[in-house]
Amino acid sequence: MNKISIDPITRLEGHGKIEIFLNEEGEVANAYFQVPELRGFEKFAEGRPVEEMARITTRICGVCPEAHHMAASKAADAVYHVEPPPAGKKLRELLYSAFFTGDHTTHFYALGGPDFVVGPDAPAAERNILGVIKKVGLDAGGKVIKLRRDAQRTVSIIGGKAVHPVCGLPGGVSKALTEEERQEIEGYAKDAVEFAKFSIKVVDDIVLANKAYVDLIMSDAYTQRTYYMGMVDANNKVNFYDGKVRVVDPEGKEFVKYAPSEYQDVVAEMVEPWSYLKFPYLKKVGWKGLVGGMDSGVYCATPLSRLNAADGMATPLAQAEYERFYQTLGGKPVHNTLACHWARVIELLYAAERWLELAQDPQITDPNVRTIPTATPTEGVGIVEAPRGTLTHHYITDENGIVQKANLIVGTTNNNAPISMSIKSAAQGVIKKGQPVTDGLLNMVEMAFRSYDPCFGCATHSLPGQMPLEVIIRDASGTEIQRLKQNC
Amino acid sequence: MVKTLVLGLGNPILSDDGVGIEIVNRLKSLVRDDDVVIEEASIGGIRLVDMMAGYDRAIVVDAIKTRGGVPGQVYRLEVEDLAGTLHASSPHDLNFYTALELGRTMGMQMPGEVAVFAVEVDNIDTFHEGCCPEVERAIPEVMDAVLQELQS
Repeated sequence: MNKISIDPITRLEGHGKIEIFLNEEGEVANAYFQVPELRGFEKFAEGRPVEEMARITTRICGVCPEAHHMAASKAADAVYHVEPPPAGKKLRELLYSAFFTGDHTTHFYALGGPDFVVGPDAPAAERNILGVIKKVGLDAGGKVIKLRRDAQRTVSIIGGKAVHPVCGLPGGVSKALTEEERQEIEGYAKDAVEFAKFSIKVVDDIVLANKAYVDLIMSDAYTQRTYYMGMVDANNKVNFYDGKVRVVDPEGKEFVKYAPSEYQDVVAEMVEPWSYLKFPYLKKVGWKGLVGGMDSGVYCATPLSRLNAADGMATPLAQAEYERFYQTLGGKPVHNTLACHWARVIELLYAAERWLELAQDPQITDPNVRTIPTATPTEGVGIVEAPRGTLTHHYITDENGIVQKANLIVGTTNNNAPISMSIKSAAQGVIKKGQPVTDGLLNMVEMAFRSYDPCFGCATHSLPGQMPLEVIIRDASGTEIQRLKQNC
Repeated sequence: MVKTLVLGLGNPILSDDGVGIEIVNRLKSLVRDDDVVIEEASIGGIRLVDMMAGYDRAIVVDAIKTRGGVPGQVYRLEVEDLAGTLHASSPHDLNFYTALELGRTMGMQMPGEVAVFAVEVDNIDTFHEGCCPEVERAIPEVMDAVLQELQS
C-alpha cells in the first residue's frame, strides 16, 4: 500500500463552476452556476417496490436524508391510496420538526451565518463555525452541538435509525412512541425552543444591530423580485410536512395553491444547453430565461420564499418574529435574498415550537400508527418542504406497487434559476469596467448563493468533503480572461 | 479499553462511491470485539462530529478521487493530509478536518487517532449498486488493512 502525498479532487471537478460573461464594455452580461449531474435515478428506481423508495432515497443526499424519507413516504401513501392515522402522521411530523431544527441550526451557525456573525470582510480563515464560536462564545458552540445531538437522537428514536430513517411505510410509521420516549423527546424540545430564542437574539445583537450588515442586506446587488413558493396549512400558515403548495407573485398576491397531485399543472422544467440541471418554472407564466418579475415564470423556494408565500407562522413565538421581520424590512414580500438567513432562524424557532407541541400532543403515544393499505397501488405524489425548498417525489407503479416511473424535483433545483440570477447581480455589483477582479469577488458571489444554502448532496461525503468553487470570467468573444479557484 | 469506531462513508447507490460502505458491511461479520463499533453513513461534515464523538480511535473508509489516480488504488491517510484549508467556503458543510477540530474545540471527546483508508474510484455520478471491477478487486486489500489496523 502506498503512503503518498495526495492531491484530492472531488466529483465536482469541472462542475462546481460559475461562469461570468462580460460584454463589449467589460461589464457583466451574464452569469451561470453549474453543478454536476447525477445520472440514472429514474432507471435505478424502476422495478423496485415503491415502499422501498423511502429508504433508498435517504441516500440520494447526504444533507437532508430525512426530507427524502418523508416525501417518499407520503408519495407511497398516495400510491396506495391510504391516509396514515393521526399518530402516524404526527410522529412523522415530530421527527421532521426535530430534523428541521437541527438542519437550520447547522446552516445558520456553520455555513451561512459566518458571513454575518464573523463579518463579510473577515479573513476567510475565520469565516467558519470556529470563528462564530469565538465571536458568540464557547457556550454558544456547546448549545449548537447539544441541539444537533438532541435533534439526531429524536430522529433516531422515531426513525429507528439515526441519519437515514427507516420508519415511514405506506399508511403510517413502523412503530409507536412509548411514554418514556415521549418524555425524553419533550425534554429535548423544551431546550430546543430556548435555543431557538437564543438564536433570534444572536440575529438581533450581531446582524440587525450593525448598520453595515443591514445596508448590505438591503442593497440592490442582493435583491431578486420573483414568484415565491412554500407549503401552507389550511390557514395559510407555513408547514413543512403537509398541506398545499402556495405560490405568490412578486407583489405578494396568491398566484396559485395546488395539491401535490397537481404539481405538473403548475411546474414545468426547462432544459438549457449550458447546464445539466433542469430549470423549473411556473407553466402558466412561462419561461423567459434568467429574469425576474411578473412576466417571468422563475420562482424561488427558500425559507424567505416560504415566509413570503404564507400568511404567517402556526406557533406563537415564530408568529411574533414573522411580524417583526416584515415590519423591519418594509412589508411583504421581502425580495432581499440575504434576509433569507433571518427567515431561516424564524423557521428554526417555528420548527422547535412545533417539535415541543407534537411531543406534548396527547395522541402522539397512540399505538395506532399505521393504516394497512387495501387498495390497488397506482400513482402518487408526495411533497414536503425540505430545508432548501419544496421537495416533490412522484411515482407511478404497476398493480403490485412496483415502480414503473419516478420523477423527483429536489429542493435546490427549484432555485436553480434564482441562484444564477443572484450570482449575476452580485457579480454586477463588484465587477467594474477596467478594474481587476480579486478574491473579494469570490466571497461576494459566494454570499449570493450561500443565502440559498444550495445542496448538491453528491458533494457532501467524498473526500475531502468541501465543495470546490471555480469562477471563470470570459470576455464578449467567450475567451477566458480570468479564473479564480477555491478548494479545487 | 480503547473504543474504536470503524466508519464506512459514501453513497451505496452511486456506483463506486459505495465502496467504503461495502467494505465495512463485509467487516461486520469478521470483527467480534465489543470495543469496536462498525457504522456506515452517507453523510459528511458536521454530522461526522456527532458520529465520531465518544471514541478513542476512528478508522474511516471512504472513496477518493485524486489527480492521475488509478481506480482501485488504496491509500492510507492521516487526517492532516485532508486538512486543506479551514475556509468555510463550502455552501453546505465543513470538511473532515474542521469537523474534528470543531468537536475538540467544544470539549467533546473526539478520537485521538484517526486513520483514513481511501480507495481511488472512477464512476461516482451514476445511480447504481455495486462498484466497477477495478474498485471491487481492492476491497479485500482494504479489509485486511482495517483488520490489521484494529490489531495495532
